[in-house]
Amino acid sequence: MSDLELSMTSESTIPKKSFPTEWLWRAVLPIALIALLLGFAAVDRSVLSPGNLLNIAQQTSYLALFAMAQTVVILTRGFDLALGPAVSMVSVGTALAMAGATAAGHDPSTVLLAGLGAGFGLGIACGLFNGMVIALLGVNPFVATLGSYNVAIGVATTLSAGRPVQGVPELFSQLFYGGSIFGIPAAISITLVIGLVLHLMLGRTVFGRSLYIIGTNPRAAAVAGLPVKRILIATYVLCSTLAALGAIMMTARTGSGEPNLGGSLSLQAIAGAVVGGTSLAGGRGGVGTAVLGALFVTILSNGMNLTRIDGYIQMVVLGAIVIIGVLLDRLRLERRQ
Amino acid sequence: MDVATDQTPAGPLLALRGISKRFTGIRALDRVDLDVHAGELHVLFGENGAGKSTLINVVSGTFASDEGTMHFGGEEVRHLTPQRARAIGISPVFQEFSLVPSLTVEENLFLGREVTSGGVLHAREMRKRATALIDELGFDLDPSQRVDDLSRAHQQMAEIAKALLGRVRLLILDEPTASLTERETGRLFELIARLKNQDVGLIYVSHRMREIRALADRVTILRDGRHIRTLDAATSTDGELVELMTGRKIDLLYPTIMHKPDKVMVDVENLTLADGSVRDVNFHARAGEITGIAGLVGCGKSELIRAIYGIEPIVSGMVRIDGLPYEFPAPRRSLKHGIAYFPANRVAEGLALSRPIRENASMTVLDLPAFARFGVLRQAAERIKIQGVMEALQLRPPNIERTAGALSGGNRQKVMLGRALTRELTVFLFDEPSVGIDVGAKLEVYEFMKRLVEAGAAVIVVSSELPEVLALSKRLYVMHHGRIAAELADAEKTEQNVLASFFREHLVAEVA
Repeated sequence: MSDLELSMTSESTIPKKSFPTEWLWRAVLPIALIALLLGFAAVDRSVLSPGNLLNIAQQTSYLALFAMAQTVVILTRGFDLALGPAVSMVSVGTALAMAGATAAGHDPSTVLLAGLGAGFGLGIACGLFNGMVIALLGVNPFVATLGSYNVAIGVATTLSAGRPVQGVPELFSQLFYGGSIFGIPAAISITLVIGLVLHLMLGRTVFGRSLYIIGTNPRAAAVAGLPVKRILIATYVLCSTLAALGAIMMTARTGSGEPNLGGSLSLQAIAGAVVGGTSLAGGRGGVGTAVLGALFVTILSNGMNLTRIDGYIQMVVLGAIVIIGVLLDRLRLERRQ
Repeated sequence: MDVATDQTPAGPLLALRGISKRFTGIRALDRVDLDVHAGELHVLFGENGAGKSTLINVVSGTFASDEGTMHFGGEEVRHLTPQRARAIGISPVFQEFSLVPSLTVEENLFLGREVTSGGVLHAREMRKRATALIDELGFDLDPSQRVDDLSRAHQQMAEIAKALLGRVRLLILDEPTASLTERETGRLFELIARLKNQDVGLIYVSHRMREIRALADRVTILRDGRHIRTLDAATSTDGELVELMTGRKIDLLYPTIMHKPDKVMVDVENLTLADGSVRDVNFHARAGEITGIAGLVGCGKSELIRAIYGIEPIVSGMVRIDGLPYEFPAPRRSLKHGIAYFPANRVAEGLALSRPIRENASMTVLDLPAFARFGVLRQAAERIKIQGVMEALQLRPPNIERTAGALSGGNRQKVMLGRALTRELTVFLFDEPSVGIDVGAKLEVYEFMKRLVEAGAAVIVVSSELPEVLALSKRLYVMHHGRIAAELADAEKTEQNVLASFFREHLVAEVA
């Protein structure tokens, strides 16, 4: 190109972002949420009863946590298929550690610590494994976590011999399920606090900023000197730690360590993240999208339960939701370009 | 080889009229005319980005032109696809290979046109024809080898063989000798001579003067997507071609830089890279002067500075920064040592396009206490600092919260330059600094470099635009095939000297 060349890409050739449509995109999901709720209420009044609304909020708080975990890795163009089995594994591990400590005659607070230590330990180990395989060995996140998916199922089933693990102490259940803070049930308050912390972390820390930059352009991030590998490992550890917390909360609810607890959670968490507007192309999404998406998925399954839609049909709907979410995301990206 | 022997009617084999092609705001071709006759070798000559590749892609059906007509063999051709182009006898050999790496040479040759009967592959027939073709071409190539087991030169041969399988009336060669040895080049030239005798037309893209001299009947010069002139090769001089190719009045654009050479900041000794793109290079750059590196595409000049910054793996050699050995370079450590790199491809390696300008400009300084404390961003400080930097660089419009993707090429480069002003740096590595930006922005980039150098920084400029490195640098290295071919300073730093080392080809004389 010589200097005779005229201005090639003047500002005028770049399409302006059209604000009304961008605004519309953001409004689609809340509108869909309300429509969904009203639609189910038309079939069954009890959907809008205060009891059911509280139920929805409780349910959402678990799924929101998992959707946040998934969002964090999806931001970096990653994926965690192993999230569900990791939840099962943590549940079993936590229950086993507490049952063992109780049997050994330790006092309740030691028992509690043993359970949390085992639960978070397993979660962190799972995240380290995923992160290192993905960041250091360069394995595709889908494949890497499909591998650890099976590992985690194997560990959970072996440890528990496939049966629920009893012996979860009352204190544990009270703390993570039965109790409440300022009248807000434990699960909801924990998720609110974690959501706030994560929101600040994503928006105001170097780590959070790095996630968005890596997800938007990993090559540019590396050339700009960001420690991409370290950040990726930390991201998977964060994801699994959040999943472990969710697993501990769900174990407190069921009162036993469940080897099948995480069953369909991987897909639900991905559905929550994607429906909320987290882009699988990376660099787009956050706590808000995870919570909205989780709320959507929860209302959908809650409504389908109350209107007695067959469980297998529900699986079909969930799968379809993920695919529609991904399609919408791609449409949105294409429109931007 | 099954070459068409039917006599082409009078008139050109290929006639392009008024071909235009735009890519998102960039006019890659602007009303280009081109005639290629049967039995003629027609060279396309021009700088990088002049439109040569786009033009051959239009002729071979990869891109549809936006305007203009194409006649082939006297008939108008519309809605050309790569398949149709091959069917009517247009056969391209691109620099990027079209071979499937996991298949064998013969499987690649017959890919999409396998010899079958009733759906069953005729392996023996295909083997026979592949062997016959390769023998006829005189290539030292085993048709049963997998393509990914072949050297680049052998892949190039397979690519040429693939193009010549079937009925060929127009052969397009895009820098075909770039990875061939002298002997193989000789073979190729013999083959070209035979094809010309068989009335095949050839479009030949090359920078290499010697090849043009040896082969060309006519030369068409393209510049900035426009047809500049078509000359008879026999009656034109090298100087004429180069002048038409560059066609510029240099002095107007470049600032006068007061170089004050100081201590050696970057010292490279016997540097060799893992991919062999740089071999045994000795090189140094001083503070207070601009050191230029010129060379053709693929000569290793970019790789050299990328290795210093730490994004190309080094196998042997030594890099010293300010006299101290710098081992295992990596971007983060390079920045801490005061070295910054400005990539040629700012979309791929520079910017996170959907993030704000502010975040893009501060990407390289997130490790500094001025921008983050204990991992927590100091957003107010960041905003003020980046706002100031981008105002100093005259970003238009000066809104740092817009996404980088909304900016023009020149403004994107300014965002990259903004990184230079956010931390203490002493060595600036510019890779093709003015690619894709308009004249005004170029001038600002040059002024920016002038300020850096006059403030005592070491600036290294790698550029394929010869006038640019000639005008900016105090000392100029010329690279060729991964090695330093010449080191020119002050008065010896002339276009003639550089071109002499560019085109110092080792072509076998017997070819011509």
